[in-house]
Amino acid sequence: MTRLSLEHVSFWYPATDTPALADVSLEVAGGEVVALVGAVGAGASTLLLVAADLAPRVVGGRLEGAVDFRGRGNGEGGRGIVLPTPWTQVSGMAFTVWDEVAFGPANLGWPREQITRHVDRALARLDIAALRAREPATLSGGELQRVIIAGILAMDPALVLFDEPTAELDPAGARMLWRLVRSLAAEGKAVIVATSDLDALPDVADRVVWLEQGRAKKIGPPALLAEDALCAAGLGTAVAVVWRAGGLPRPYPLTVDDAVRLWRHR
Amino acid sequence: MTDALRLERVSFAYGDVTALAEVSFALGPGERAALLGRNGAGKSTLVRLVTGLRRPAAGSIWVEDWDTRDRPPEQLARRVGSMFQYADQQLFARTVRDDVSFGPRALGFAAPEVQQRVGRALAALGLEAHAAHHPYDLPPAFRKLAALAGALALEPRLLVLDEPTAGLDRALRARVASALLERAAAGAALLVVTHDLAFAAETLERALVLDRGRLACDEPLAGLLAAPPRLEPLGLAPPAVAALSRALGLPGAPVREADAARALARVAAGRRAPLD
Ligand SMILES: Nc1ncnc2c1ncn2[C@@H]1O[C@H](COP(=O)(O)OP(=O)(O)OP(=O)(O)O)[C@@H](O)[C@H]1O
Ligand SMILES: [Mg+2]
Repeated sequence: MTRLSLEHVSFWYPATDTPALADVSLEVAGGEVVALVGAVGAGASTLLLVAADLAPRVVGGRLEGAVDFRGRGNGEGGRGIVLPTPWTQVSGMAFTVWDEVAFGPANLGWPREQITRHVDRALARLDIAALRAREPATLSGGELQRVIIAGILAMDPALVLFDEPTAELDPAGARMLWRLVRSLAAEGKAVIVATSDLDALPDVADRVVWLEQGRAKKIGPPALLAEDALCAAGLGTAVAVVWRAGGLPRPYPLTVDDAVRLWRHR
Repeated sequence: MTDALRLERVSFAYGDVTALAEVSFALGPGERAALLGRNGAGKSTLVRLVTGLRRPAAGSIWVEDWDTRDRPPEQLARRVGSMFQYADQQLFARTVRDDVSFGPRALGFAAPEVQQRVGRALAALGLEAHAAHHPYDLPPAFRKLAALAGALALEPRLLVLDEPTAGLDRALRARVASALLERAAAGAALLVVTHDLAFAAETLERALVLDRGRLACDEPLAGLLAAPPRLEPLGLAPPAVAALSRALGLPGAPVREADAARALARVAAGRRAPLD
């Protein structure tokens, strides 16, 4: 079922004339992973803030169009956002990682047993159970990013919004995160992720939204990331970009596996 | 010639948790090193030691002929330009230009010299259009670039950068790469902490890999990226270009995009199909 729908949404930050989002329409269903790609400032982070009901409610500004979110009801299954700078998202109220991850669920007023179950599961999924007694302020960048993600997942949101979730993760951690994104979708959650890790998307995204100057310029399958126009805009996968730069004919391969296939049949 | 940076059996612990154990290496002028490793491997700790924010528990760190033990961070800043992992939170001036000027001004340069250095640093990163903006009106990626410009404006002999490209798009990563190559060509040594191995492949030449606080490897970066079985146990994975070169058997196992594109074009034109 549709979790989030945006209809002709435009958004202006306070004291600005140019919209950060311009006439964007998008529907995202449970079970789906939608990736937002674009240059810095193209509107991906803004779209996530709008989807999270933080813009304009918290950041101010002005919105036109319709944003409709349908959770699971009973105050459960809301929406959770992971910001691009995890260190700005620490509650500052917890002395241990476990309490930090429990902060969100505790605010939902859940019974203790339910909190414990979700916190322990989230810590395990992010591979940070060993950090549970650590003080959040002393964690490394990547450790903290995992803790913040765990804190969001512990609230069991029906719509999960990720802004550059792998920015601080090591390559093995990034692969773990992308697998986790797929398994969240498999559980029926709707996932929207803004990322510059384009090479990960063929295996992760069901759809890709190309944003440019606040507009959804193109929406389609991840194969978009091998199209000439996206490569030219700096949004091709590395394999497609190399193929194109080498002057080889279209279609460009999207992944290493595609390249091997094309190379064999040339 | 003296090394730009030399670590001699450096160890450090937070309380009773060892973060670095007997790390030794040296960087010459103009050398471009990537400091790699898993989350929690000790990379940022090493940055804190080199910039004088923390002192080694054992061993010593030399910045040219200065023992960092004898120098407070503000003095080390004459030779070491740095950028921290949370750099986008560390801007405090009202405009990007003021923020970038802070370092050279604090070093006591005259106003015209400050202005020139700031101009060069902003230009190197293509930030001129944002010079008059308030840092917090910009997206985090641009704040990061502003912090990097602040380090570049010191025109230091050693640049130590913690995750300079996290969250940057392709065009911005390319700007960072070219600015760093320019500084290295002018003789600055680079020590760059990064998880972005594609960026590292484009920009850096030497791989220093930390594994649970120990220096697990110190060798040419391109060779390491072309050897997936060696990357895996270090928590690393080959970037897509290295994987492509390997899968197609491209001659020279290129890891940079431009090199791979050239190799691909040559093989395609010669109708030599390495896989057949
Ligand atoms: N103030 C502190 N007190 C206790 N432990 C700390 C402190 N700061 C860092 N650590 C621990 O020291 C180890 C090294 O941390 P460091 O920040 O150097 O890692 P890193 O390699 O930079 O990791 P990342 O890639 O995640 O940024 C980690 O296990 C971290 O949890
Ligand atoms: Mg770090």
